[in-house]
Order: sequence, then C-alpha cells, then structure tokens
Amino acid sequence: MSIQIDHVTKRFGSQAVLRSVNLTVPGERTLVLLGPSGAGKSVLLKIVAGLLEPEEGDVQVDGVSIFDAPERAVAAVRRRTGLVFQYSALFDSLTAAENIQFGLDDGLARAPSPELRARVEETMSWVNLEPEAATKYPAELSGGMQKRVAIARAIAGGQRYVLYDEPTAGLDPVNAEAVAQLIRRLQRELGVTSLVVTHDLDLAGRVADTVALLDGGRIQVEVPACYLDSIDHPLIQVRRRARPLHVA
Amino acid sequence: MFGVAARSALSLDLGLGRYVLTLIRNAAAAGSLARSCIKALRYRRVYLPLTFTQVWDIGVSSIPLVLLVAMISGAVTSEQSGYQYNVGTMPASITGMVVTASVLTELGPVVTALVLVGRVGARIGSELATMVVSEQVYAVRSTGRDPVLYLALPRILAGALAVPALVMIADAGGMLAGLGLAVARQPITVADFLEGARSYFYPFVLWFSLIKGLLFGVCITFTACLVGLRAEGGAAGVGRATTSSVVASTVIVMVGDLVLVRLLGVFK
Repeated sequence: MSIQIDHVTKRFGSQAVLRSVNLTVPGERTLVLLGPSGAGKSVLLKIVAGLLEPEEGDVQVDGVSIFDAPERAVAAVRRRTGLVFQYSALFDSLTAAENIQFGLDDGLARAPSPELRARVEETMSWVNLEPEAATKYPAELSGGMQKRVAIARAIAGGQRYVLYDEPTAGLDPVNAEAVAQLIRRLQRELGVTSLVVTHDLDLAGRVADTVALLDGGRIQVEVPACYLDSIDHPLIQVRRRARPLHVA
Repeated sequence: MFGVAARSALSLDLGLGRYVLTLIRNAAAAGSLARSCIKALRYRRVYLPLTFTQVWDIGVSSIPLVLLVAMISGAVTSEQSGYQYNVGTMPASITGMVVTASVLTELGPVVTALVLVGRVGARIGSELATMVVSEQVYAVRSTGRDPVLYLALPRILAGALAVPALVMIADAGGMLAGLGLAVARQPITVADFLEGARSYFYPFVLWFSLIKGLLFGVCITFTACLVGLRAEGGAAGVGRATTSSVVASTVIVMVGDLVLVRLLGVFK
C-alpha cells in the first residue's frame, strides 16, 4: 500500500517542469510536498492522480502502474484514490450532498437509496459539516465549508489514498486548522495514505510524517517531519525567521 | 527594400503555417471528441437522464425566442414579397408560395440555428470552459469518469433531438405569421395564400427542414462542447471560448446551409 513515483519527467513545450522526480509515500502515512510557487507541485499531484501524463517515468499506486496497467486495474486504483483540489472544484449545479454522492455513484440517482443517503450523512459528519449544508449549492457555502465538502467527496467512497492540492489555500487560520486536523484524523482513524501539496509550512508541520521539498523540477530534500525546521532552503529559512515552526 | 519584402513574406509564411497548424490541431481534436462520443454511446443509463435535462434547457426553454424570431422572419418575408411582387399585377397566390419556400427551406432552420448559436452555443461553450478552468472537469476525471460521457454527449444528443423540433415550431410560426400579415395587409384571402403554399410544397421540403435542424443542432452543440472542453486560462479563457463557440458555430451553420442547399436540388 504505497504511492511510488519513479523518474517522472514532465515538460510543457520546451520547459521541463519536473526532472526525473522520485518519491515514495508509504502506506497509511502522510507525505507533504513543499516548494515555492511554480515549482511543479500541483503538476506532480495531477500526474499521480492520472490527470496528466508524464513524458518519462511512471507512477504506481498499490503496485499498479496508472499509465501502463490495463484500463480495469487503473479504474480500480482511481476508485481508491480521492483528490482534493486547490479551489475545491465542486460542481456548481449540484448541492453539497449531491457533490459528495458523485464520489459514491454516478451522482445521477434522483432518489438516492437509503444506504447511499446514510453514507453521505456519515461522510458529512466525518468532515464536521452540519446537516443543513446538504441542500446548499457551492455558491452558498463558505470557503471552509466548500473545502470540507471537497474532502468529503474525496473520501466518501472509502478511498485509501487522498491527494490534497493546497488544502488550506484561501482559508482563515481557524478553517485551516480544521482541515489540518481532518487530514490527520483520516490518517490515524481510517488509515488513509495522503500526499499533500502545499507551501503552508504550518500545515506541513501539523500533518506530515515526511516532508519533501520540490524546487527546480527536482526533489531537493526528503526528511522526516521532525527535521522540517532544519531544511536549508530559502522557503523554510524565511518562514523560520518569522517564527519557529510548530511540528505536531 | 528586398529585406523588408523577404521579412514580410517570411512572416506571412509563418502566419499561414500557424493557421494551418491550428486547423489541423482543431480537426484532430474534433475527431477525438467524435470518437469519444461514439465510444460513450453504450452507457445509456448514464447519458439518457442527462440528455433529457439538456433537452429541456436547449429545447423547451428556447421555444419563446425561436418562435418570436421565426414569426418576425415569416412576417417580414410576407410583407416584403407583397411589396416586391406588387400584389395586383402578379397572381394573388405568390405571397403564400414565397413565404412557404422561404420559411421551410431557409428561414425556419437557419434562423432557429442562428438563435441557438447565441443562446445555446454560447451557454454550453462558457459553461464547459468554466468547468475546465475551475478544475471541475478534472474533478470528474479524478473519480474515474469520462467527461465526454457526462458533459459533452448529453448536450450533443439534446441538440440533435431538440433542434429539429424547434425548427418545426419555427416553420409553423413563420408560416402562420406570414399568412396573418398577408391577409391583414395585402388584398389576398387565406385561400389565395394556401393555394400558393400548396403549389410550392412537396413532402421532401419538410424532411429537408428537419435534416437541416438535426445537422445544425449537432454542429452547434458539438462545436460548443469542443471549444469549451479545450478552454485554457482563467476568465479570459472562458471569454475566448464563448466567442470562439459563437463564431465557429455561425460559420459552420452558414457553410452547412450552402452545402445542404444542393441536397434540395437533388431530391426535388
């Protein structure tokens, strides 16, 4: 049970965004991928999710290559993988409950079965969403609630792997803390394996087991979270000068 | 002097090359979308309910606007033919004949298509482009589902179903408005008008109108889906996709009309 990224190279035109990136996220662990803006963190996450194809290299989830394995095996891996987008990417035309339901079935059932409804309610309570939020459309929800709906959609099907793209972007400290706690709970209580892309060092300190730093298209350093403060990189140093990092 | 001419020729050449490259890329993308749609046709349980929702959005809610524009077109044709043919010197049935020919073969299908380019094509283009730039399309794909099956196919099928029906409504509305205005404003009777209409009408004209509606419906929705799903960038990208959808669909409808008019000659 792990995510294995092997020599992944991705170019946009003549510009190489990722150069032979190697990274392993062990099962039931959380790896936080740090890096300055434009370092290619989100591109790597989309490659792991199978949304972008690398020019070179491979990604294996549960030992299944998501680019070379038969379609059926890849589909099974995708069902076990949830993705939380930077700006939530909720479907505007569906309510919060329907968005979560989309992660469970095709979201088309006009009257979802009692089991499906119970699963949606259970997932909503898991991410601390009030039942009243179920019938609201994304435009009627706050940023923090949208993020929690997005997380609920990503885990509703019992996904074993969750990929987070800047999960605290645009959130106030209270909501950012709630999201950090949620990521931690998912790992501890449900055994979810997480890959978190962020440049929020507070979040990294709170949720990571391992921290990797991506810059210049390469992994510059990969250390246990307790050594986060000792990473010698401008991104960390600037933050360290501001105030000491809190590591959970 | 020579240098300037050479540079101009080179830039023209490069511009032309880029244009040709874009055309090839667009054609390849269109082929790929068409192939994906055909592949997705086996998942009826998924796309049928979504198609019916889209039929409502594209078809039923467009009826008032299509009917209004078609009635105005029919009325203008009636008025214009009465004026052009100087009723009194020509047979009284001429207005019915001209209105029938114009509305069934051209105005009904083409005016409906152009109204839908603005109303439906722009909406689909901007809706899908917004979904692309806000990563909603990625969200569909991340759940292991095909965006073509969920987003494009239902809209294209709805276009194929709804537009022929709208064309029939436009045909009827245009004819009735033409008849009403002719009787009110020209020295002719309902019987004169109907005699003219009957003298032109033959069954294939109605089929021709339907075929045009079907092809225009597919072209408008397909183009809008293609452009919308290939949008890039933020708000500017959505704007570009909307404009491209309207421009491309308008050109396709007009060129399609030019090509289809030959069909009428063949089957007459």
